Amino acid sequence: MADYIWLIPVFPAIGFLINGLLGIKFPKTLTAWVACLSVFCSFVVSAIIFKQFLDLPAEARVFEMTAFDWIVSGDFSTQIAFRIDALSIIMCLIVSGVGSLIHVYSVGYMHGEAGFRRFFTYLNLFVFMMLILVTADNLLLMFVGWEGVGLCSYLLIGYYYEKDSAANAGKKAFIVNRIGDLGFLLGVFLLVTTLASNGVWTLKYSELQANAHLLTPALAMAITLLFFLGATGKSAQIPLYVWLPDAMEGPTPVSSLIHAATMVTAGVYMIARLNFFYTMAPTTLLVITIIGLLTAFFAATIGCAQYDIKRVLAYSTVSQLGYMFVGVGAGAYAAGIFHLMTHAFFKGLLFLGAGSVMHAMSGELDMRKMGGLRKKIPITYWTCFIACLAIAGVPGLSGFFSKDEILWMTYSRNGANIWFWLFGAATAGLTAFYMFRMFFNTFHGTCRASEEVKHHIHESPKVMTIPLMVLAVLSLVGGYVGVPHLLGGSNYIEKWLEPVFGHAPAPAAQSMHAFDLSVIGNAFASSGASGTVHETSAELYLMIAAIVIGLSGIFIAWLFYVKNPELPKKFVKKFDGLFNLVHNKYFVDEIYGFIFVNNLFRLGNLCKNFFDEKIIDGIINGTASLVAGMGGLLRRLQNGLVQGYAFAMILGAIFVLYFMIRMIP
Amino acid sequence: MIGIDIGFKWFIFVVTALLATGSSLMMVTRKNPIHSALWLIVTFFSIAIIYVLLNATFIAVAQVMVYAGAIMMLVLFVIMLIHLEWGKAQPAPKYSFPKLMGGLITVMFFLQVLAGIMAYTNIGKKDTYTPEMLASMGNTQAIGTLLYGKYVFAFEIASILLLVGIIGAVVLAKKIKD
Amino acid sequence: MIPASEFKWILPEIILTGWALVLLLIGGFSKGALSSRISGILCLVGSFSALFCTLNLWGVNIDIFNKLYTIDDYGTFLKVVFLIVLTLVTIISFRYTEREGIASGEYYSLLMFGVLGMMVMVSSHHFITIFIGLEVMSLSIYILCGLLRNNVKSVEASLKYFLLGAFATAFLLYGIALIYGSTGILDLVELKRYLLTKQPFAVTMFLAGIGLLIVGFGFKIASVPFHMWTPDVYQGAPTSITAYMATGVKAAAFGALVRVFYTALLPFICGWSTILWVIAVLTMCIGNITALVQRDVKRLLAYSSIAHAGYILVAFITGDREFTSSILFYLLVYTFMNIGAFTVVIMLGRNGEENTDIDSYAGLGVRRPFIALCMSIFLLSLAGIPPLAGFAGKFYVISAAVKSQYYWLAVIAVLNSVVAAYYYLRIITNMYFKEPIRELGVIDDAPQYGFVMLVCVWALFHMGIFPRMFILLAQQATRIFL
Repeated sequence: MADYIWLIPVFPAIGFLINGLLGIKFPKTLTAWVACLSVFCSFVVSAIIFKQFLDLPAEARVFEMTAFDWIVSGDFSTQIAFRIDALSIIMCLIVSGVGSLIHVYSVGYMHGEAGFRRFFTYLNLFVFMMLILVTADNLLLMFVGWEGVGLCSYLLIGYYYEKDSAANAGKKAFIVNRIGDLGFLLGVFLLVTTLASNGVWTLKYSELQANAHLLTPALAMAITLLFFLGATGKSAQIPLYVWLPDAMEGPTPVSSLIHAATMVTAGVYMIARLNFFYTMAPTTLLVITIIGLLTAFFAATIGCAQYDIKRVLAYSTVSQLGYMFVGVGAGAYAAGIFHLMTHAFFKGLLFLGAGSVMHAMSGELDMRKMGGLRKKIPITYWTCFIACLAIAGVPGLSGFFSKDEILWMTYSRNGANIWFWLFGAATAGLTAFYMFRMFFNTFHGTCRASEEVKHHIHESPKVMTIPLMVLAVLSLVGGYVGVPHLLGGSNYIEKWLEPVFGHAPAPAAQSMHAFDLSVIGNAFASSGASGTVHETSAELYLMIAAIVIGLSGIFIAWLFYVKNPELPKKFVKKFDGLFNLVHNKYFVDEIYGFIFVNNLFRLGNLCKNFFDEKIIDGIINGTASLVAGMGGLLRRLQNGLVQGYAFAMILGAIFVLYFMIRMIP
Repeated sequence: MIGIDIGFKWFIFVVTALLATGSSLMMVTRKNPIHSALWLIVTFFSIAIIYVLLNATFIAVAQVMVYAGAIMMLVLFVIMLIHLEWGKAQPAPKYSFPKLMGGLITVMFFLQVLAGIMAYTNIGKKDTYTPEMLASMGNTQAIGTLLYGKYVFAFEIASILLLVGIIGAVVLAKKIKD
Repeated sequence: MIPASEFKWILPEIILTGWALVLLLIGGFSKGALSSRISGILCLVGSFSALFCTLNLWGVNIDIFNKLYTIDDYGTFLKVVFLIVLTLVTIISFRYTEREGIASGEYYSLLMFGVLGMMVMVSSHHFITIFIGLEVMSLSIYILCGLLRNNVKSVEASLKYFLLGAFATAFLLYGIALIYGSTGILDLVELKRYLLTKQPFAVTMFLAGIGLLIVGFGFKIASVPFHMWTPDVYQGAPTSITAYMATGVKAAAFGALVRVFYTALLPFICGWSTILWVIAVLTMCIGNITALVQRDVKRLLAYSSIAHAGYILVAFITGDREFTSSILFYLLVYTFMNIGAFTVVIMLGRNGEENTDIDSYAGLGVRRPFIALCMSIFLLSLAGIPPLAGFAGKFYVISAAVKSQYYWLAVIAVLNSVVAAYYYLRIITNMYFKEPIRELGVIDDAPQYGFVMLVCVWALFHMGIFPRMFILLAQQATRIFL
């Protein structure tokens, strides 16, 4: 039954090979069909497996399959092997499902591009690598996927490589990711050596989990922190988030697929996958929560002051990824994965919507030059509206459930406190604000575009709008797999993921918190102070508070940009310095540039000018000329005369015989 | 050859061996190819005598008939057909450095081999074919039995070797088409 | 007497001989392009059927023909390598013989006879059979080298190879004679048994015999200082024959060398490993260093083949029976990368004009990206860059040295592969980063070349990424030495 799970990653690989190797003379339609079908086939296989999982008891929902031995070295062996369980099937469905929608969308979006085939080849390669990442059954194979998606991301960010900014953005993404990857690799090394010193040679998840007890708490902390460093690179968290906003130089479907829905969530997936290590390291979890919260909050503030719609979305992605880390950092892995899923729907949709807007506006990205598009591109308008509502956490939509779950976890889990919740809720308010700021600026008010652009505004073709609509439906209903108990749901997704993450740890005693909302909650509770009521009421009040914060964000945005468009200008004038600080992204890029990049360049120049050119080149050139000289000398011996050759042979024979006869005792 | 006194045998061997070596030296140092060919015949003959001393009469006769007779005849024919013109080539210096070096290391090589052989003590096993047995069954029969019995496979492969040689001769000597 | 049933074991050899004779007849009775094509296809059919029969022999271990001939996995493995060489060379020769006006009947039949010689040579533990097999192979190749009769270089190569080859054969034969003289034995298995009971090591004649064997085989595998014929002959010979020599002859010579030394002379390893250590180091260093200054690609590949002989010697001298398989694996890998590279050399040439100068490769990456890509893969594999098979081969060979504690040898081998990377990469840089220096005509384009290149590329990737199966096969083949 599990024999065919390798098909999931293989289909996009086939598409990649067909388009990459044979596709030179393919017409565009054929290329598009090959690319889309290959990803869609993966989706079908994933769906079939999902169906089978549904029929199986929870603990039997693991398919493992070993393709072949990959590296065998002494006691250590690693296989090319795949593992599909409750967690990876969700990832597979997201990657291949959202992936195929975005493939279809790209057919329309990239239609006029010269590098049409190149684009789809890379995109298929990306899906292949991403599926390898999520279906791998050991860390090494996961690392292959991890690096592979990084490579594809680099290639696709630099898709318009003639543009300097795109090429630089690609480089930046690649280099920043390398820093994270270093952490990942060091983590793998540390893990292997630690386990090996206990006589266990393995990188397989199931065996790692069985042997997790061999790690001391300190080592577990070190290893998990190193892995988390890897995750901050890939998933754009502080301090390595700087590459993601620049990555918007790539084509918009790429931003949607890679930099919103799938690749950037790899860090979250990895932590969820290794949850058994993270659970052992509470300090790391705390670090993750704090980093996640800070990232979420700061990115959200930056998002409020950007004019480029894709940049707003990029910072929003960084911020939402922060949320996911808050979730996994609270030990609520299922909540993190739940948000990952809903985020894939509505953020993917937002990017595709932005692409559709760009398509309509002849490539314009600045929201100050938009406005009033509501009537002209209605499908884009309505789908974007749903997505904005979802991300803003309006009750009933997918984002609401997942975000609320995380917010509740920040409050209720061990080691959490109310400040975490406040930060999270404030971020949610900011999110609602900047999303609707962008939304109102783009679709409402009067159109500020030039006449020529105005003339060309048109709705995108069906091939682009249909994926929008599908994603809109998913953003609407996607949250209902995780309706919390509080609202009468069963939190199905948490139960689904239970075989992977184990039972959710019990909420901490509330009395530990300095500022205890539950006390207030209790005051409102009608009857007896039993534990469940106590908790339920707290959860309810926090939920209502979050909803209010979110709605007020939307309201402020409405006030600023629809009701009274002069208000923002006044506001900016008044808080000139603050606005500039935020608009310029807190000057983080400049600070990094000043501290790291410049000094590294200086060091590099020093190495180049002195160490490299003088010492190394001296040695190398010296050796090279010596060797070349010897070569010239030897060449002269080779003069083409048979006598000379025979002479050398006899000399050699004498030499050999001398050695042999010398052996006589 | 069984009856012959060992001392006398030794004497003949030394003489023929020296003759073989000397004549082959003469052969490679002659300028005139015909002289070289004639010296080669002398070498073949002396080697034939050594075969006789080793009780290998059949090979001795074959040596004289095939090599000294047929092959050398061919060699002489070829030399005459090509009809090289003597004396026109630049006379090479008699004792040039390469020549000296070549001579020197060749001598060295053979001294080494000699050193190897001189230290020879008969440790090897003796074959089934003793001189007495050869005398009783006859040299030709012994060779025939071996060649078409034990060694027939090698013999067959050797026939392919000859075939390849013939093909080569034909291919390389064929008229070149334009 | 020989039971007739034994002939079934030499079916591949019989097939080759038969087809060679048929081809010869066809070549004699018909002329022109059609006959050339027919001969080529027949040769292909012959080599395929021989390959099929050989594969069926896998797992058979038997001595036949009064122990003059042996069928075992070691021989079968090498036979498969030779037949792969034959098949690939035949395919690339279709066009080449036509283009260069080579008499195709004789050409193909000599190719087959050459392979027959190789097969005989590696599947016997009797000195006489080994020697005759070696001669059949050598004689065929002397002739094949000279088949471009309008080309002075080709004729010169043939003559040179013949003269020096005869010279080397004399050494080899002398060596066999001295060993026979001191022990009275020509059979390797018997010799081994004899050496284990008696102590002939003190006998200089025996030692001198081994020394001369090393000289004789050293010539065939092109090790320094018996290598000097290699560049001249490789350059002058028709390119398809160069490919054939660089792979087939080398594999056969190493095959026989390993069988002789590992079957019988292993107890005496302390004697020959020292001298071969020196030879291996010299071979690697001189091969690589001289290759650095070559401007002719055929010549460069000749020196590279010398250097590769050095790498294989590294594994050979360890005398580690467990690692004999690394030699076989290397030979197999080496076959594909070299035939691939020479195929590209053939494609760039035209009748009478070989275009083997390194400048001819300038700009190939732009003009013919596919060919340039394949060539790069072959060169990178020769340089031993992972994940290509050349890396796996080199890794395996060097780990043999490390395991037997020949650390210096391993270090020298690694340093040499660094030097080697330079000249391989130089061709690649030429192809990709240089403007064409002069206008080049059409490239000899034919699907056969593309097919061979693809097969080689596939093989290199396959054996590089999944070497396990091939190593296991090689290990099974070398089990006879354990």
